[in-house]
Amino acid sequence: MPEATTLRTLSDPGHAGPASRLSRLAPVHWLALIFLVAALGFAAVAWATGNGFYLRLATEALIFAGLAMSVDLLLGYTGLLSLGQALYFGLGAYVSALVLRDVAPSFWLAMAAALLAGGMAGLIGGVIANRVKGVYFALITFGLAQVAAKTVYNTRALGASDGLIGIPQIRVGFGPVSLDTADPLSFFLLVLGLTVTAYAGLSYLMDAPFGRTLAAIRANEKRVPFLGFNAWRYKLAVYVLAACVAALAGALYPMLRGFVSPELMFFETSGNAVITVIVGGVGTLVGPVMGSLLLTALRSVVGSWTEHHLIVVGVIFMLSVIFLRKGLVGALLARLSRRGEAGRTAP
Amino acid sequence: MAELIDYLQFVLAPQALNGLSLGVAVVLMALGLTIIFGLLDVINMAHGEFYAMGAFLALTLAGLGVGFWALLVLVPLLMLPIGWLAERWLIARVFHSRDRHILTLLLTFGLGMILEDLLKLVYGPNTQRPENPIEGGTEILGMFLPNYRLFLIGFGLALIAAVWLVVFRTGLGAMVRAAAFDKDMASSLGVPVRRVYAGTFAFGVALAGLSGVLLAPIYSVFPTMGRDFILMAFTVVIVGGMGSIQGAVVAGLLLTQVQALSSLYISPVWSDPLVFGIMVLVLMVRPQGLFGRLGHA
Repeated sequence: MPEATTLRTLSDPGHAGPASRLSRLAPVHWLALIFLVAALGFAAVAWATGNGFYLRLATEALIFAGLAMSVDLLLGYTGLLSLGQALYFGLGAYVSALVLRDVAPSFWLAMAAALLAGGMAGLIGGVIANRVKGVYFALITFGLAQVAAKTVYNTRALGASDGLIGIPQIRVGFGPVSLDTADPLSFFLLVLGLTVTAYAGLSYLMDAPFGRTLAAIRANEKRVPFLGFNAWRYKLAVYVLAACVAALAGALYPMLRGFVSPELMFFETSGNAVITVIVGGVGTLVGPVMGSLLLTALRSVVGSWTEHHLIVVGVIFMLSVIFLRKGLVGALLARLSRRGEAGRTAP
Repeated sequence: MAELIDYLQFVLAPQALNGLSLGVAVVLMALGLTIIFGLLDVINMAHGEFYAMGAFLALTLAGLGVGFWALLVLVPLLMLPIGWLAERWLIARVFHSRDRHILTLLLTFGLGMILEDLLKLVYGPNTQRPENPIEGGTEILGMFLPNYRLFLIGFGLALIAAVWLVVFRTGLGAMVRAAAFDKDMASSLGVPVRRVYAGTFAFGVALAGLSGVLLAPIYSVFPTMGRDFILMAFTVVIVGGMGSIQGAVVAGLLLTQVQALSSLYISPVWSDPLVFGIMVLVLMVRPQGLFGRLGHA
């Protein structure tokens, strides 16, 4: 079963022509749209019932979905497994926390600083990590994140093992209107909006020539130079892009929780992001978002009656690796397209 | 001059010997990892949990009245079928796919997660401390050394030598090396490659379990005990060269000395970033590590 044994991209038009390209692309975006409507419905219900807890939980899930998307850019589109993506997530969180606490309580300044830091760190990390391939890439990203996490853990100025606390709640200004991060509903909507923007932007980019070159690198890196492309440059670019996405997602974390801790950089965070991508659907971008919400909900439900949710998550994860190579989204899409075909063939 | 000798005798040498006993244990862990990688190309992320499992098995069996010497034999024997099944049910399932490097890494990562939580479920999250099987200490050159650590160094070195003998001086080892070099050719020459794969994986897992038995009296036993230790073992395997037995031994003894001595001169908390920094550097400059791969040297 060679088909099932590769990590394939679902929105991959590949050999398909323009007409079938549209019809193959659409289902993923439809899924994203359905998801968006469901999220808005959830927000309305939670707001009507005054349930701030679930809104905050969902916001956290979306923030970690950003991290998972950045892992998906590398794993799903380029075939690079990063075991240290939490490095950039944590970096964004710390930079944002420091800006908000010590410089100015400005949302845009914190995001810009996190983006800059993520980009710079991604450039350095990318130059280092892209020296090697395959499992060595996974291990070097893992090692880099470990060095950074242990360094933060030992640095008194960054709060060492306690992290930074007392990050102020802020108002986010959009020209004349502004919203408050302390309000669960408005912050949820803000993060939802950012997630949708990231999804749309990244999906577009992955369908643009840039993304097609990444797909070529994933398919056969050795042949890419024969087409006149410098694979190393593209791999570096997508690594920096993923680092920026992770850093931006991380920058939102202290606004939600009011603190940051070195755990954000630990392997558990990186590992969870990989699990999220695999369970949700590799190479779909919407998969990581849905996976993050599903796993957060699962942890919250299972966690309410047992603290041993890792067994459940671990089993789901392994089953996804073995049986659902395209994750939850892949399974949903397969069902959708089967129904679509059945509808077309029926008289 | 006298001060220098005192310093050597009471500060440097004990630290180096502590490092050596840790080093021997790390090498045992790394050997399992590196043999599994050398033959199957699998990064076994669950290795640390197999190590913890060995320690917990020892604890349970000791509670049933099994003596320490029997444990050294019994626990690895019990770990063998676990490793065999893990290879047959998980690794073999994705072994022929294009992304097997990534898929096997992910599968063993998931397996480790489940095993760790299972240990928590069965034994609780608290730290347990088994009795020291070899009490007392010996004075060597004016240094007081616990007997158990001396035993660990001696036994560990003997075990490493035994592994080396099996891999490089027996027919079984020749089959393993042949399969690592070219599995199709080995298979056509009558090497039962699938069984060699499962057996080698089981052997690595048994080694991890044995390290668990050996280290339990020193580092105490808790479900997440594998985590910190496995990171060191990974670093050793990478620096030594993934799939290299000599590399694991040399890098294991070297890096634990770096760790032991850097914690003396810099600070214990910075020894981890230092060791991981070395790992990153080696990956950048010489990703194949110090020595060549199993079956390729």
